[in-house]
Amino acid sequence: MKNSALIFGFNKYAIEIIKNVKSEYNDVKIYSLDEEDSNNTEYEIEHFDLSDNWKNIEGSIDIENSIVFCVLEDTAENIFLTISLRALYENLSIIAIASHKENANKLLMAGANKVIPLVETTADIIANMLESPISHGVLHDILYEKSDLKIAQIKIDKGSHFKDEELSNIDWSHYHGIIVLSVMHKDMSSEFIYSSKAKRHIIEEGDILVVVGYEKDIKDFEKSIGSQRYVNWSNWSW
Amino acid sequence: MLKHLIIDAAYNLQTSKSYQARKQFFRNLLENNNYRYKKYVDAFMIMLIFTSVAVLIREVKHPIHDYMFYFNSYVISIIFFIEYLLRFWIHSDVSKIIVERVEHDSFLSRDVKLYKAFKKILHVKLSYVFSMTAIIDLLAIMPFFHELRLLRLFILFRVFKLFRYANSFQTLASVLATKKFEFFTLAIFASIVIFVSSVLIYVMEANNSSSPINTLFEAVYWSIVTISTVGYGDMVPVTYEGRIVSLVVITSGIAVLAFTTSLVVSAFTEKLDEIREIKTVEDIIKLKQFYLVCGYEDVAQDVVKKLARRGNDIIILDEDASRVEQAKKDGFKALNYDPGQVESYKKLHINIDKQIKAILCLRENDVENVYAALTIRSLSKEIYILSLLMESSNRNKLKFAGINTIVYPQELVGLITKELIGQPVAFEIIHELRSEKSNVHIAEIAITSRILESFSTVGELGNQDFRVLLLGVHKKETQRFYFNPLDDTFIENGDYLLVIGYRVFVKEFEKHLHTKVKYDEK
Repeated sequence: MKNSALIFGFNKYAIEIIKNVKSEYNDVKIYSLDEEDSNNTEYEIEHFDLSDNWKNIEGSIDIENSIVFCVLEDTAENIFLTISLRALYENLSIIAIASHKENANKLLMAGANKVIPLVETTADIIANMLESPISHGVLHDILYEKSDLKIAQIKIDKGSHFKDEELSNIDWSHYHGIIVLSVMHKDMSSEFIYSSKAKRHIIEEGDILVVVGYEKDIKDFEKSIGSQRYVNWSNWSW
Repeated sequence: MLKHLIIDAAYNLQTSKSYQARKQFFRNLLENNNYRYKKYVDAFMIMLIFTSVAVLIREVKHPIHDYMFYFNSYVISIIFFIEYLLRFWIHSDVSKIIVERVEHDSFLSRDVKLYKAFKKILHVKLSYVFSMTAIIDLLAIMPFFHELRLLRLFILFRVFKLFRYANSFQTLASVLATKKFEFFTLAIFASIVIFVSSVLIYVMEANNSSSPINTLFEAVYWSIVTISTVGYGDMVPVTYEGRIVSLVVITSGIAVLAFTTSLVVSAFTEKLDEIREIKTVEDIIKLKQFYLVCGYEDVAQDVVKKLARRGNDIIILDEDASRVEQAKKDGFKALNYDPGQVESYKKLHINIDKQIKAILCLRENDVENVYAALTIRSLSKEIYILSLLMESSNRNKLKFAGINTIVYPQELVGLITKELIGQPVAFEIIHELRSEKSNVHIAEIAITSRILESFSTVGELGNQDFRVLLLGVHKKETQRFYFNPLDDTFIENGDYLLVIGYRVFVKEFEKHLHTKVKYDEK
């Protein structure tokens, strides 16, 4: 897990992000292009500009070990900020917001690891709410933790007794309460459990099983197959 | 005594449900363009009119069968007469006028003056009788008295009845009516030219023995033929003076023609949007179920496209003409109506609770969304309303306006970032399952009585054979989702299965559920 979160831009989105991530990080820093934001009493905000002078910021925190949120409202500035950060720090995790898919693509090209296209995301959620209310509700609960149902990834360790077995030969019903959704290979390509490729796949060390289940059942499953839950930060499927 | 009888009868009719329902039925049948069965009555009447004209044409040179003659003279006339009486009846409410008068007088503690009510009734009914359409209706009945040969020509009046039954005639008339003043001016101009030229040509030509124009009637005939630029050439002026008059008439003829054409064209251009709007509203009335979207800004555009891709009908209301134009360009039905006005919904002539699946207030402005939602709530307490929220401080106001679901994009960003850093895998997977583009997706299958004929428990469904994962069952009874249910879990009507799989396999599985027949039935 990264140590600190840096948020560039101070607006409604920044406030929502701060609310949701402050418990996860030791340190949450906010930077704004507007000097007047520094007078804000509720949040501690530092001023920055889009020149290449990052020394002030570099001095106070370990940038490489941080996660960055680029939430400037001006798309052009947001893209410029993203590209500047990527040019300087190759391994930095950058999450950016974009108004549209078109801008989202530009931000990805500029080096953002993950982009949230606002309009499309909102529209997706509205359309799913109306058209598939049940699946929307279940998935929403899984994501936003209102239910105990979780999606987890479990890495096959050296000692796991699944190692070297063919995926389709395993009787998953043994593990009550767990549904295996997909298998992620070492190269991070993921295969749906019922795909023809996954069927013949022989489980190797380093494979990751993506499972759905209640927290307790997932723990039991981990114990019984002798593997561990695994969150790999550097490998989202961008 | 008689007065009391009349008043009692009026009250009885006013309060009688069956009488009012019958009257409403005929009113719908004859006058309500949005009534489903009116078009059949219209088609029937149009057929009668054409039959009548066909008989008239046939009769000119060939003898016709007696039954055809009787059908034309009596049956059609009687049908038209019944229609005339029905229209006379539904045009106004006699009992209502009497009741109103009685209540008015008794409220003021006066003697009830029925003669005033009758005066009003007479006035209302006569205004109907002397209306243009009623006169045509009456003339169309005249061929009933076929013994009078002249009255048989009244069959042609039946053709005028077509105006009643074809909406496009009414549209045409209403469009041309907007230019009443201009047409009037044109008519005056043309009349003066015709009058002057007729007199002149008569004076110049009538005494010339070689001229074909000998009477005033021939002079008027020549003038009209010339001014309309038709110019048959059967009558031509022969004198020098007569030809000069011709030149003037021909020149004014060009002006009259050009003026008429431009009037008709401009009337249609001005009314084109209105005509299109009427057409759109007619289309909307015919829709069984649709989403009503208020506003066509960024999020709305995307939502509408996504809903349309899933086969939904969508109607867009926006007060901004440019956005409505954009929606039309994108291929949607859109109207330039203000979603915040009750009038906008009334103009649509729809049953909000029955025809609308949900109303989406997607303006990117909380004030507008609250305004629209309150307007909708004043029309229907039940309809489901979803709205965007732009400022979190306004959340309570939206709730207070009766909005069922509030979507706050900023909050979504917060939640998404939290998931991205906390549960990246779950996030990616769910994102993938929801995405329209991915092959593997999550689907809902409703349990119907047809499925229950073949399957009663989860274990019997056989989803593994179709390479489909059963994530769980949503039970109708408890309104709860049961994840990964055991094989012996019963399924019931109204439950939903939540399955994950490749789209093709999910479809196959669904087909299998609906078509499988139990072996023991064979």
